[in-house]
Amino acid sequence: MLTVSALTRKEIAARLAGPGLYLRTGPFTNCIRSDSRFLLDGICQMYGAYAIDESGFADFHLNLHRATGWRRWIRPQVRFDNDGEAPFEPMPANHAFPMLEWMLNWCVSGSANSYLIIHAAVVEKNGRAMVLPAPPGSGKSTLCAALASRGWRLLSDELTLIGLDNHLITPLARPVSLKNASIPVMKAYAPDAQFTVPARDTSKGTVAHLKASDDSVARSAEAARVAWVVFPRYRAGAPLALVPIPPARAFMRVAENAFNYSLTGARGFQALGGVIDGCSSYDFTYSNLDEAIALFDGMAGAPQ
Amino acid sequence: MPGFWRIAPGQQLAARGWNDEFVLYNNLSGDTHLLDGDSTALLAHLQAGPASLEALVATFAGDIDPDDAAALPGTIASLLDQLAGLYLIESLDAPC
Repeated sequence: MLTVSALTRKEIAARLAGPGLYLRTGPFTNCIRSDSRFLLDGICQMYGAYAIDESGFADFHLNLHRATGWRRWIRPQVRFDNDGEAPFEPMPANHAFPMLEWMLNWCVSGSANSYLIIHAAVVEKNGRAMVLPAPPGSGKSTLCAALASRGWRLLSDELTLIGLDNHLITPLARPVSLKNASIPVMKAYAPDAQFTVPARDTSKGTVAHLKASDDSVARSAEAARVAWVVFPRYRAGAPLALVPIPPARAFMRVAENAFNYSLTGARGFQALGGVIDGCSSYDFTYSNLDEAIALFDGMAGAPQ
Repeated sequence: MPGFWRIAPGQQLAARGWNDEFVLYNNLSGDTHLLDGDSTALLAHLQAGPASLEALVATFAGDIDPDDAAALPGTIASLLDQLAGLYLIESLDAPC
């Protein structure tokens, strides 16, 4: 299997500039074309362990190119199109890598309807997956990154893919998106991890990405069963609190966090019902990452 | 048949329940509702066929304490109104 790290930087750049880099992420193949050095930097740094699909087929076609004309020189920009459709405004050139990540999420959440897609992080330990749905600012990605840095397998930091037939989670392990204050927190918490150069003044503030572990990437064909749904909330100084949620209410809250619940109809209803049937759900408040991880490690190690 | 209630024609309801709470999927609207056990029991009864308020009261009277029987018609009427508000059931004498 050819991986990105088997290519030189020059070879990756040539594919991006030419026929496209056919990057495999979870169950998807993405054909990426770009002339942005910022995007090249990000791919070399974050995607070395990922497979390159050489079949010539791609689920998504993403083009990120530098703007032309005066925008090449004055406040240079990068623009995105997907199969010729340009749904978003151009962004500053040095936001190319976060833009790629957002566009990959946009492609999946907008069209991968063979899954029920939840806006949630998901990690796994001992064969038991923990889904972390939460709105921005809840500390979801920070908690996910911290768990991933302490032995939990990253399945996704943003999009939880639930199989409509088997109710299992299909991994989509990609770099973890960290924003604002969570960047220095995670750099201190996981000093050996790899981070991209922070992109400042994006629509989400300052954004940096944390590389997924090679183990998470290597096991991206290994689906997992949900054992817990945990709605995290970071609150400075708060004591650790794990409060059970009645299953029917957990169902409704997870459905509210789904991108395509309505679209998947009765199959989505049954899939989510199957997940809730097999798991426990909680509201979780934390302020200390070590305490949170110790609690979850204990849950993952407990007899089933 | 004035005063009768029924499930909307063509509507197929799928339900899953835990303890005394249920989630219910309506194939016509695509909506999912969080319902209590009493509302779900009413719906299950109406899935078998249209029923009047009086018939529903008679059906469920055996499930409650006799001291509460006087309140049952009002309670069921209120639940029926709520279910109608969610477009899960309809009154046969309702204007088109």
